Amino acid sequence: MKKMLILGALMLGSTLSTAFAGSGPIKIVLPEEADLLEPCMATRSNIGRVIMENVSETLTELDVRGDKGLMPRLAETWEQNADGSWRFHLRQGVKFSDGTGFDAKDVEHSFNRIMSDKNSCESRRYFGGMTITPTVVDDYTIDFKADPVQPILPLLMSLLTIVPEETPMEFVREPVGTGPYKLTDWTPGQQIVLTARDDYWGAKPEVTEATYLFRADPSVRAAMVQTGEADLSPSISQLDATNPATDFSYLDSETVYLRIDHNIEPLNDVRVRRALNLAIDRQAFLGTLVPEGALLATAIVPPPTLGWNPDVKVFPFDPDGARKLLEEAKADGVKVDTPITIIARTANFPNVTEIMEAIQAQLQDVGFKVDLKFVEVAEHEQYYSKPFKEGRGPILVAAMHDNSKGDPSFSMFFKYDSEGTQSGFSDPKVDDLIKRASAAVGDERAKLWKELIAYLHDDVVADVLLFHMVGFSRVSERLDFTPTMATNGTLQLSEIKIK
Amino acid sequence: MPLANPVFAGHNSNQGGGMIPPPGLSEGAMLKFVRKRAVASLISLVGLIVMVFFLSRLTGDPAALFLPVEASAEMKQQFRELHGLNDPLLVQFAHYVGDVLTGDLGESLRKARPALDVVLEAFTWTLWLAVITMSLVTGAAILVGSLAAFRAGGFFDRLSSIISLIGASVPDFWVAIVAIVVFSVNLAWLPTSGTGSLLHWILPIAVLFIRPFGIIVQVVRGSMIGALSSAYVKTARAKGVKSRSIIFVHALRNAMLPVITVIGDQAASLLNGAVIVETIFGFPGVGKLMIDSILQRDFNVVLAAILVTALAIFLMNLLIDLAYALLDPRIRH
Amino acid sequence: MTLQTVTIVADEPNFATRMVRMLLADKFALCAAIFLVFIVILAIVGPSWLGELATKQNLRGRNAAPFDWERGWVWWMGADALGRPLLARIVVATQNTLMVAAGAVALSAAAGTLLGLVAGFSSPRVNQVIMRLADVIMSFPSLLIAVIVLYILGSSILNLMLVLAITRIPVYLRTTRAEVLEIRERMFVQAARVMGASDRRILFRHILPVVLPTLTTLATLDFAYVMLAESALSFLGIGIQPPEITWGLMISQGRQYLTNAWWLSFWPGLAIILTTMSLNMLSNWLRIALDPVQRWRLEMKGRKNG
Repeated sequence: MKKMLILGALMLGSTLSTAFAGSGPIKIVLPEEADLLEPCMATRSNIGRVIMENVSETLTELDVRGDKGLMPRLAETWEQNADGSWRFHLRQGVKFSDGTGFDAKDVEHSFNRIMSDKNSCESRRYFGGMTITPTVVDDYTIDFKADPVQPILPLLMSLLTIVPEETPMEFVREPVGTGPYKLTDWTPGQQIVLTARDDYWGAKPEVTEATYLFRADPSVRAAMVQTGEADLSPSISQLDATNPATDFSYLDSETVYLRIDHNIEPLNDVRVRRALNLAIDRQAFLGTLVPEGALLATAIVPPPTLGWNPDVKVFPFDPDGARKLLEEAKADGVKVDTPITIIARTANFPNVTEIMEAIQAQLQDVGFKVDLKFVEVAEHEQYYSKPFKEGRGPILVAAMHDNSKGDPSFSMFFKYDSEGTQSGFSDPKVDDLIKRASAAVGDERAKLWKELIAYLHDDVVADVLLFHMVGFSRVSERLDFTPTMATNGTLQLSEIKIK
Repeated sequence: MPLANPVFAGHNSNQGGGMIPPPGLSEGAMLKFVRKRAVASLISLVGLIVMVFFLSRLTGDPAALFLPVEASAEMKQQFRELHGLNDPLLVQFAHYVGDVLTGDLGESLRKARPALDVVLEAFTWTLWLAVITMSLVTGAAILVGSLAAFRAGGFFDRLSSIISLIGASVPDFWVAIVAIVVFSVNLAWLPTSGTGSLLHWILPIAVLFIRPFGIIVQVVRGSMIGALSSAYVKTARAKGVKSRSIIFVHALRNAMLPVITVIGDQAASLLNGAVIVETIFGFPGVGKLMIDSILQRDFNVVLAAILVTALAIFLMNLLIDLAYALLDPRIRH
Repeated sequence: MTLQTVTIVADEPNFATRMVRMLLADKFALCAAIFLVFIVILAIVGPSWLGELATKQNLRGRNAAPFDWERGWVWWMGADALGRPLLARIVVATQNTLMVAAGAVALSAAAGTLLGLVAGFSSPRVNQVIMRLADVIMSFPSLLIAVIVLYILGSSILNLMLVLAITRIPVYLRTTRAEVLEIRERMFVQAARVMGASDRRILFRHILPVVLPTLTTLATLDFAYVMLAESALSFLGIGIQPPEITWGLMISQGRQYLTNAWWLSFWPGLAIILTTMSLNMLSNWLRIALDPVQRWRLEMKGRKNG
């Protein structure tokens, strides 16, 4: 009898432990290889997917799953000083994967490193247009002084990956970070392996090891999860996302739009720009060429972003209204017959060719003359960014913009300011609003951004905004994971649970 | 119709005036040939590098492609400074030549690693795929093509023509994706993609096999039909040579000239990389590397890749030219 | 004296009748010829006949399945991602496809053959230069040629043909040269030389006819390659831009739908396969029909013991 009880207890114990034993290695298949694993490049999505918050951590972290806003990571608390600078109190007892301790000097070095001209750190572009000086107060306290004063400096700190102060200025191939994982294998072109660290400061993640594989073809990625060769593919095509048990769609913070060049006739006339918007039947694309869950865009930033304006209404589909506007403009001598060229990037997003052809047909239907031109990345960039070519005709550039950071400041300057690299026009009221909103805090900030968004959409008619896109991922049934808006650039292994 | 027959050449009494060179390729002649060839190849290699160096730098700015669209003009300028792209072209070229002479083919702008390392890693995969595929293709295609030619117009000929023509014109990604769906997802006999085990090589090589096989079968068939009906084969038959295999072998030998040329052409195309197979099956070969580097304007990698593949192709063509002389001793270079 | 019956041997029928008879004898070649004529007719009338139908978009009817007999015959092959009937699209695309493919193949074959003849027949120095040039072209990635041509010469259909043609020159060049090397040592060439025939005459009258059959086989096979390679280049923005269409472009646009709307890629792919097969079968037939030594195979066909 006693033996039976013990046996029973043992069996119960083992089943219980398997119930809680969700832990082990997983395989993730990504669309493109990370050709660099340098922490200061982690803000580029194909690198961030592997490195961000897995190997290298940041001081703060944006909560994309809930509404906690900015959460502490390597910084426990922070406050703004009287002179406008921000003081961060760092977490203690944190070790890097090479054994060295984490302190304020590492933060200072990490910042100076990304701003250095001895390398090409991508993260530097978030700190453009301002001068920031880090000052070490003591081992676990650091001040960042910004000029002009940056209300969102703590948010910017979520983009600064922390490396040990001994890290050289040149790019490294063996990233050392405070994150829950360390890099244990990198076979270029084939795989990257991250293994969980025992001396991580936080909770032990369930995933003990992650192997990243790379397959450019979306059907192959989906097939791999289906056959069990991989456990997770953060990006598959909509056509393969047919299994509700494993496939999830998620808003992925990419916005598709047509950037209008206001400098060339007839696009310099607001009636023509409005006609462009009215001629397109956005609703018809949903569920056909664009996934069902996509949103119709009224701003360049998606809804969860601070300052997104719910009162701005999507342009209705009104081809007659568009025709009328064109007539009016024509009567005033505007050359509405000039052929307009839509420049699009091949394979920019799924169905880009068909979407552009459909838009072309809709525009031609109301009387526009539209040519399509598909180009590769390098050529597209030359049309999209200044300096623009002399002697060009009227051009619409189809582009996709990503902002998952929660604040419009990352987009507005570049896309709408007179000095912005991708801005197709110049309007002093817009410049002023951008400046004031960037310097404001809290509700005032949200109000100013809302005002700007409404002004751009209804008065200036700056672009033809189209869709906030949706991505699809496939997750094996043995994993418990839901992708978020940030998944494209940050795939936190600690968020993945094993069933 | 090829008439050369080494068996009879020596007995040819029409050698008046030394117009026909003595048969065979002597040791000395071969060495001289290879030496001349090496010099000429080196010159053309240099020419190739110079052309690609200057032309590729005219086509775009790697800074704009490495950095995000929101990067400032100053950041792009810094990037160019770091990589020496702001210097005048001739200065850049001088630096490059200096480095090459010490074995340094520059650093990849994208990957921050030596370009030569990147290329050699990729080229190893490509070389394996090319060698294995072309070996299989050569054997199979010569066999099928010759058999088809033997009974030209017959059932086997028609069947093999249809199959080989479909193979030569079918889009390769079709075959790849369908094969994955059938053999991997549905039947679970083979892995979908990747490079781990021997099984992983089966589908990629099968897909790569199809097009060259189709083409070479057709070339062999055409060439063999001509060779089989040539005068001396008829003569041999008339003289009583019963053995089909002897006739076969002689006809084959004389039909091979265009065949090995086309084999070389197909092999060159495989050495330049099989982009579709690499993309779909995840083999990190030189085809995808080349395309990515060209689109990203990673000049050093492009140059290094072209250098490596050019060397392989030049070498292959040399071997083919030597083979011409072996197959038909009357050919002199 | 016995009366002798004199058999008058009939004159050989004229060239045209002979060719038609031989074509009829080879059923495969006959089908091929009919198909090719059909394709050429489609290429000529396609755009004007079905142009409207091929461009009318209908987002609700996208990716409609084939073999639906309810709708018109145009819908028999199904609809593409924008709801346009595939059959109409393929017919309209025939013109662009054939133009680009025929242009590129003709250019490369002509240039390659000419260079090969010159290389094989001229001095060793000229031979070396031309052959090393061929080596260089073989090592130059076609994508890079395309990007360079795009940036220097701009984007047009002619430039597309140019890029496609350049990459294929080496195979014609090397094949021709190999044959020339062999044939120039042969008896009849030596004899012609002695009799005072010019180099040009020897090249074109004696050598070229021997090389031609292999070259035609290669050219007809190249058609398929060019039709598929063209779509990869249009990806770069060089040449064909939507809404213009070719078979190759339809195939690559249909690639993402391969597992659930296979018809988008399948029908244009089938068109390429059938065209290639027809061209090849016809060229194989032509090779036999034009060769006085071989054509008995066709003339004897269908006759039962005389």
